[in-house]
Amino acid sequence: TSEFHNLQELRHSASLETKVFIQRDYTEGTVCRFQTKFPSELDNRIERTLLEETVKTLNSYYVEAEKIGGQSYLEGCLACATAYIIFLCMETRYEKVLRKISGYIQEQNEKIYAPRGLLLTDPIERGMRVLEISIFEDQGSGTSSPSSSSMSSTGSAR
Amino acid sequence: MPGGSSKSGGRGPSSSPLPHTVVPPSRPLRPSRYVPVSAATFFLVGSTTLFFCFTCPWLSEHFSLAVPIYNGVIFLFVLANFCMATFMDPGIFPRAEEDEDKEDDFRAPLYKTVEIRGIQVRMKWCSTCRFYRPPRCSHCSVCDNCVEDFDHHCPWVNNCIGRRNYRYFFLFLLSLTAHIMAIFGFGLLFILYHRQNIDRLHAIVTLAVMCVAGLFFIPVAGLTGFHIVLVARGRTTNEQVTGKFRGGVNPFTNGCWRNVSHVLCSSQAPRYLGRKKCVQSVCVQPPFLRPQLTEAQLAAKILDNGIQGDLHRSKSSLEMMESQSCDAEPPPPPKPELRYPGISRGNTEECSLLNNAPPTPTMYKYRPTYSPGKNHTALTHAYANQASQQPGFRSQPSLDRRDTSSDRARGGGSGERREGGREVVAGGIPGYSLGGRSYPSFSDSTVLSGVASRSSSSTHTSTGAIHVSEATTSASFKSLASQTPPPHQTSRNGSLSYDTGSREMLRFSPSHPITTTAPPTTTTILFSIARPLPHPPPHHLLQRESALLGEPHLSPHPPPANQASAPPSSSAPPPSHHHHHHHHHHHSHHHHHHSSSSSISRPPRFPAPHAPLHHAYPYRTRSTDTPLGPSSTSTSHPPNSPHPPPLGKSLSYSSAAAAEMQYRLVRKASAGGMGGGGIQAPKDELIQMKPQSRINGGQALSSTSSSCSAPSSPSHLVSVSARPGVAYPSSTLMQSPTHKTQGGGVKKVTGVGGTTYEISV
Repeated sequence: TSEFHNLQELRHSASLETKVFIQRDYTEGTVCRFQTKFPSELDNRIERTLLEETVKTLNSYYVEAEKIGGQSYLEGCLACATAYIIFLCMETRYEKVLRKISGYIQEQNEKIYAPRGLLLTDPIERGMRVLEISIFEDQGSGTSSPSSSSMSSTGSAR
Repeated sequence: MPGGSSKSGGRGPSSSPLPHTVVPPSRPLRPSRYVPVSAATFFLVGSTTLFFCFTCPWLSEHFSLAVPIYNGVIFLFVLANFCMATFMDPGIFPRAEEDEDKEDDFRAPLYKTVEIRGIQVRMKWCSTCRFYRPPRCSHCSVCDNCVEDFDHHCPWVNNCIGRRNYRYFFLFLLSLTAHIMAIFGFGLLFILYHRQNIDRLHAIVTLAVMCVAGLFFIPVAGLTGFHIVLVARGRTTNEQVTGKFRGGVNPFTNGCWRNVSHVLCSSQAPRYLGRKKCVQSVCVQPPFLRPQLTEAQLAAKILDNGIQGDLHRSKSSLEMMESQSCDAEPPPPPKPELRYPGISRGNTEECSLLNNAPPTPTMYKYRPTYSPGKNHTALTHAYANQASQQPGFRSQPSLDRRDTSSDRARGGGSGERREGGREVVAGGIPGYSLGGRSYPSFSDSTVLSGVASRSSSSTHTSTGAIHVSEATTSASFKSLASQTPPPHQTSRNGSLSYDTGSREMLRFSPSHPITTTAPPTTTTILFSIARPLPHPPPHHLLQRESALLGEPHLSPHPPPANQASAPPSSSAPPPSHHHHHHHHHHHSHHHHHHSSSSSISRPPRFPAPHAPLHHAYPYRTRSTDTPLGPSSTSTSHPPNSPHPPPLGKSLSYSSAAAAEMQYRLVRKASAGGMGGGGIQAPKDELIQMKPQSRINGGQALSSTSSSCSAPSSPSHLVSVSARPGVAYPSSTLMQSPTHKTQGGGVKKVTGVGGTTYEISV
């Protein structure tokens, strides 16, 4: 579709070019883990080590969330004892870790990914099935595929 | 659960079979769904209330106050768990967004395999939810949702039981059993002390309550015991009932203690739907940082003419490979952006699996499943069958199992079928193959793509930029059931890629003269090409597997009486389970599997659908998961298209080369074991797809080099199959020899409508 834009506007806008999805790594069962394999589309966008680091950190967060230990056991007992009313007031362990993850992703986006024209989307929004990385193209400079509206802020809000 | 779109109340537009029809998203109210849960609530609350009102007062006076307190606590526990099991989100996956499904539906395989602790597990494409279902996920037809760790849909709570609420369901069962026992016990105590005045109201009510309790005790206790066993073994009801692990190993178990603690003590899993959106405000503004290009990348860039189309920056490795031409032919016209060749793409599994196969024309959306990319022969067969007598939609994952891949494919196919069958009839064929037989799905595809790309690249370079849209041959494409024809069915000149999703294109340079040949001719030729590798209907694989595992075979196949003519030139089939191994060694253009030796009847050479439905449906479907239906299971023995004479003769075609090529490719890919798991099928499909996708394009029919010629055949075959009304191969087959060779300089390309173009090179 052709859109008419003010050239000035377009000069420094970034538009979403494509998305890359990092899939779950199921080799150890249904525990939440993402593959650390580097997607080739990002070859010229970001260093491998940075992405691997991000994915590894996320994986460790998920391990922590799903850990079965003292805290989760106590949480369960308490919930049982209060006929689960406690769930209305208290945040579960998993939710706490998810909040941490969300903060981590936000921070990574700000520091590492956005400067490279990439954006991570929290996997929880995709049902924890994929880690979505949006790749933006600089319309002003290179070629770009027909894109949706230019986005200056990205969000999980949809 | 089979996604019965017909069963679910409503469907979103994404699951609509026809893209242009709008299905109202709201579901109609179905009161029948609420009857069991209402009855359960009524009996539970009612009986307990009566107990407390009539029985408890006396008991608390004569025995102790602990009686009503104990009963009160247990009842509260029952109610709380009942409510949680009823109202809690079981772990519903949100529908995938449009852009997550990058591949064209027409090309992506229906199954994706993944290895879990050494065991191959298949992930099926959910056409409603638009993603490959994670392991243990299943689509509930009642709720029309994919649920994580799906256990079952419980009518008594009118909710699915999945990852998030299994614990509550389990505790509900335990507490309900205890509650029933308590009520019965205390009621009995009451009655024993009131034998003399049994006609009092209190006694009568107590008796009634005891009757209800006694009546419900047996099923509830049975179910509780069943779930105790399931929890201990780390299985879900779905897996138990469908027999996934019968004879196999459960990759999801961690031992009894860990399984129990996982159910009871793990942290409450988060829900995916209805989450608060956290808006990240991050500014993304160019200019962007870029990492340094490595040497290789720079070199690659130079190689590719600096051409960077901004169309579909496809992630398909196919395109990457395209620039690597093994021919001395002139470089192709500008193509969509080429990135760095040689980079293996396994990035998105969906992508890597995607072998650009031509889209399925509308009329073939319900085609029997063929493994994609398998040979054109497979495709042709499918079409031929369809044309002839397609009873319905059969799934044949790998119609054309050339020897090489045959084993695996068959194993896969059979596994697929079996699984489908299993789900259909609740039979018990394990869907998981044992470990050790790992068929590395992605590495294989990578390998194949690497190989295939070379051949395809040669094709491309020689041909140019014409896209040939071919009907999707292999049934295992996602969009098989889609009712829309591929958006761009342009088969002729012009370099448009037919739709966003399509990556592998046959490209023919417009400069090449293109002549259209009469369809019949084409058909003939193509069929003959196709013939070379008839592939055994998956059934027999299925049967073999079941024979191996001692399972009853669920889909009966009448003895292939009519298959007598079909001449598997291969040696007479040895016992069915040996086939796995034999296939690898056949070169074949023959239908090895055709052995009738197996006790189970084999489907005819050009198998019509047989196998279980949607499971055997290799292609992802847009509309719904369930394959089309009844027809797929109906005929185990599809009406037979007459078997064409052995195609060995026509092998001199490029198809022979193609077969050879595929054989090689498949062999490479099949590092692992043979035989059978059901998981094999998808792999095969994937693998087969690749060569096919790469191979389109008009290459000289006579094979100049095997690698170059191979590609052409699949495309041809594909197109042939696409033709509507292309009928019996047998009739056309006869003429095939005449069209055989046209010398080295003619390429045949078939367009969508079945027209053939001969391009002289």
